[in-house]
Amino acid sequence: MKKQRIVTLSTAILASALLLSACGNNTNDNGAGNPANAGQPAANNAAGDTANNGTAADPAAGASGVVTASDLSKLPDIAKKRTDTIIVGLTDPSGAFTPYFQQSGYDGNVSSLLYTPLVKVDDKGLPIPGLAEKWDVSADNLTYTYHLRKDLKFSDGTPLTADDVAFTWTILHDKSYDGDSLVNTLNIKGGDAYKAGTATSVSGIKVIDPQTISVTLDKPNASALTLLGSDVLSKAYYGKDYKQGQLDYMKKLSGSPLGTGPYKLEKFIPGQEVRMIANENYYDGKPKTEHFIYKTAQGDTWQYLETGEVDYASFSATKENIDKLKAMGFVNILPYTPSNYGYLQLNLKHPALQDKLVRQALTYGLDRQSIYVDAAQGAGQVANIPSSPISWSYTEDGINPYKYDAEKAKELLDQAGWKAGADGIREKDGQKLTIHYLGSKKPETDIFIAVAKEDYEALGIKFEPEVFADFNALVSKVEGGDYDMASFSTSLLTDPSDGLLQFVDGEIPGYEDPAFKALYDKGLATSNIDERKAVYKDIYKLLNDQLPVIFTSYKKSVYAYNGRIQNLSVSPFNGLAPSLPKWTLSQQ
Amino acid sequence: MSTYITKRILYMIVILFAASFLIFCLYALTPGDFITGNIKLTPERKAELREIYGLNKPVIERYAIWMKNAFHGDFGYSLSQQKPVLSLFNQYIWNSFLLAVVSTFLTWLIAVVVGVVAAYKQYSWFDTIVMVALFAAMSIPSFFIGLFLIKMLAVDWKWLPPGGMLTTGSNSTGLAYVREVIHHMMLPVMVMTLLGVGSLTRYFRSNMIDVIKQDYIRTARAKGLKERKVLFTHALRNALLPAITLVGFELPALFGGSLIIEKIFNWPGIGQLYMQSFSLRDYPLLMGFTLFIAILTVIGTLVSDILYHVADPRVRL
Repeated sequence: MKKQRIVTLSTAILASALLLSACGNNTNDNGAGNPANAGQPAANNAAGDTANNGTAADPAAGASGVVTASDLSKLPDIAKKRTDTIIVGLTDPSGAFTPYFQQSGYDGNVSSLLYTPLVKVDDKGLPIPGLAEKWDVSADNLTYTYHLRKDLKFSDGTPLTADDVAFTWTILHDKSYDGDSLVNTLNIKGGDAYKAGTATSVSGIKVIDPQTISVTLDKPNASALTLLGSDVLSKAYYGKDYKQGQLDYMKKLSGSPLGTGPYKLEKFIPGQEVRMIANENYYDGKPKTEHFIYKTAQGDTWQYLETGEVDYASFSATKENIDKLKAMGFVNILPYTPSNYGYLQLNLKHPALQDKLVRQALTYGLDRQSIYVDAAQGAGQVANIPSSPISWSYTEDGINPYKYDAEKAKELLDQAGWKAGADGIREKDGQKLTIHYLGSKKPETDIFIAVAKEDYEALGIKFEPEVFADFNALVSKVEGGDYDMASFSTSLLTDPSDGLLQFVDGEIPGYEDPAFKALYDKGLATSNIDERKAVYKDIYKLLNDQLPVIFTSYKKSVYAYNGRIQNLSVSPFNGLAPSLPKWTLSQQ
Repeated sequence: MSTYITKRILYMIVILFAASFLIFCLYALTPGDFITGNIKLTPERKAELREIYGLNKPVIERYAIWMKNAFHGDFGYSLSQQKPVLSLFNQYIWNSFLLAVVSTFLTWLIAVVVGVVAAYKQYSWFDTIVMVALFAAMSIPSFFIGLFLIKMLAVDWKWLPPGGMLTTGSNSTGLAYVREVIHHMMLPVMVMTLLGVGSLTRYFRSNMIDVIKQDYIRTARAKGLKERKVLFTHALRNALLPAITLVGFELPALFGGSLIIEKIFNWPGIGQLYMQSFSLRDYPLLMGFTLFIAILTVIGTLVSDILYHVADPRVRL
């Protein structure tokens, strides 16, 4: 009896675990309600989900093809009744609203409205003033000086000074800091000593006067300007309990943010709503619409947009979705491309894949147009470089598009010494050419496997797909090294160097090219955009030829929003936050 | 009786220990951990974070640490939500409980009434129609019926809200608040009842059919008792006895939340929270919740055994 009970219980647990892992992909599928950006510092775990999921999305441009509402009279009454409130669907904010100390990208969406960065970026990703009205970079590109605007205030009316900025940067170097901000990887002078506990302050951070702060790096890094130029935490509020090496108390403050954004938190109802109210102390003037609500929308967002419960949602840009949105009549449709890119990681530890010719053959021989554009009903675009078309660094000049060409692929494989064996599978030195592919369970993976299997088998490559129930399981298998090819997507990228990081930090084992490394450093050594553009062009050409990974696609999505909202625009990198203060509801 | 209960409680503790260990291992050995899925981190930073969270320690040591803290009533902070696990439970479980308790009540009520009538009128047209309808209800997938009802009742006819627990932005309090919640829970409760009522009705119907054929029912009728009394006092009481076992199993279900229903209807329940925690490998939350359900399961079986004794003196403990 007892034994039986233990067995029953354990089987129940096992069964539920299996059921869960079987359902696991569902959580990755509901991204349609993630319209806003995770803010600069806060792409993270959930954004990891986001990144491997089609519709979830983050803002990005492509202002062409805006469709305006055809018939506003179809607007549901429930939406008409709201006169000073805008509601936007958001998959799942968890309630941790302190920037740098949050794990979910959805919380990042919320905090991007509660805080304003020192430096924003424009629609191309170029820096523009935020809380800092200007900045200087020293001639050696090592010292950055930020000049804050006058009379900045936190939402409770207390003044914001350079001390708050210094405090923010300092605690990110604490050894107990467990967030995913990259500020502590910038090599700020004295940062390591502070982390080790041998210094009581970070020597590279200098408060010059209440409006001016400078920071000195050990090594030039052009992405420092925007990375450091992020949200500011109040020292008086977040620092009163701080002792070096002890940041646990920050968790207690995560539900009661004190920020500088256009809105401040009114009330968080777990699993339901994040209610915000206009911040009268916002540096750019109090927002026009008094209330803003992020509504948790776990499942499909269609029904909320259709019934007027939300004013704004994002969807994958499939023809079907766009037609359906047009038929609603009362929504404006705004297309955009997110700032990340998708790729197939190749196991460069395997001899066959170490050969550039084989990697090129695998790219020529894969019909990416069919997989990522046609099968996705147009909600995608083929990628050939590690940068999104919306970035200032994007270029197609001199880039090989690797248009699908099976003959060319065969030629390259022959050239690389892989000859067809008795069973039609190519071999070399007694080894058969096989591709062990890993993907996580979702519709896109099924499409990929169907097309890739056919394409690769036609080339004489054995294709062995393996599908995982969830993303973590996939990554863990890839880290184990037992694979040849795996589908991934990057997190959202701001600086062009963000998309290249994986090629230098060891995430792609086996890729080491001194020429690339030198270019990478060169790209970060200057803040001059024209110089950087030239360097990134060289980098993209190099990677496009070497193909350490196979670049696959950019997603395409649309925002659909209630036609009553005026002055709405979405920044590709900062999401709703920049234009939100100006949104108004027209009365009719 | 009291020695029996002492013995049972001792067993329960052993079972829970074994279960907690098993659950812990199961989660710890699922491929990937909380850090793995964060594609933004460099391998170096991943190693640092594993050190901070203690994820690089051997499983046994992690279990020992977790157990020690649990004994002090500290179930830790959720890694992804940055809040104490227990306060998260408190925020979400009651919403799930509300749905479950109402739909369970309705399910049992309908099942008992329909089951008894169907059994009494076995093979009548009523019985046949009910059985066909029940089979139909049992075989419809919950996500389909859920989405279908949203489409009909919420989107097209606009009778009921499409999901959530409150009208977005609503500041209602008191009675207005209660009315709003009831309005919002109608659809999910409807679906949950529809899905649950089939098997339970069939269960009561077959029990009842067995009981009606017993000699003591014939005796009761022979004494000239009213049919109503025979049916509801003599027959139903005996037919309900085996259902006591089910009561024990309902206990964890009341608090466990429903993954699919909560997701479709955007209900802020614990099922959704658990689901996300699983894909993120948020160990403290997963462990805390699974153990909580394990405890309820063990208590539920104990309660149903004791109830058996109370309801039927023939059962010796």
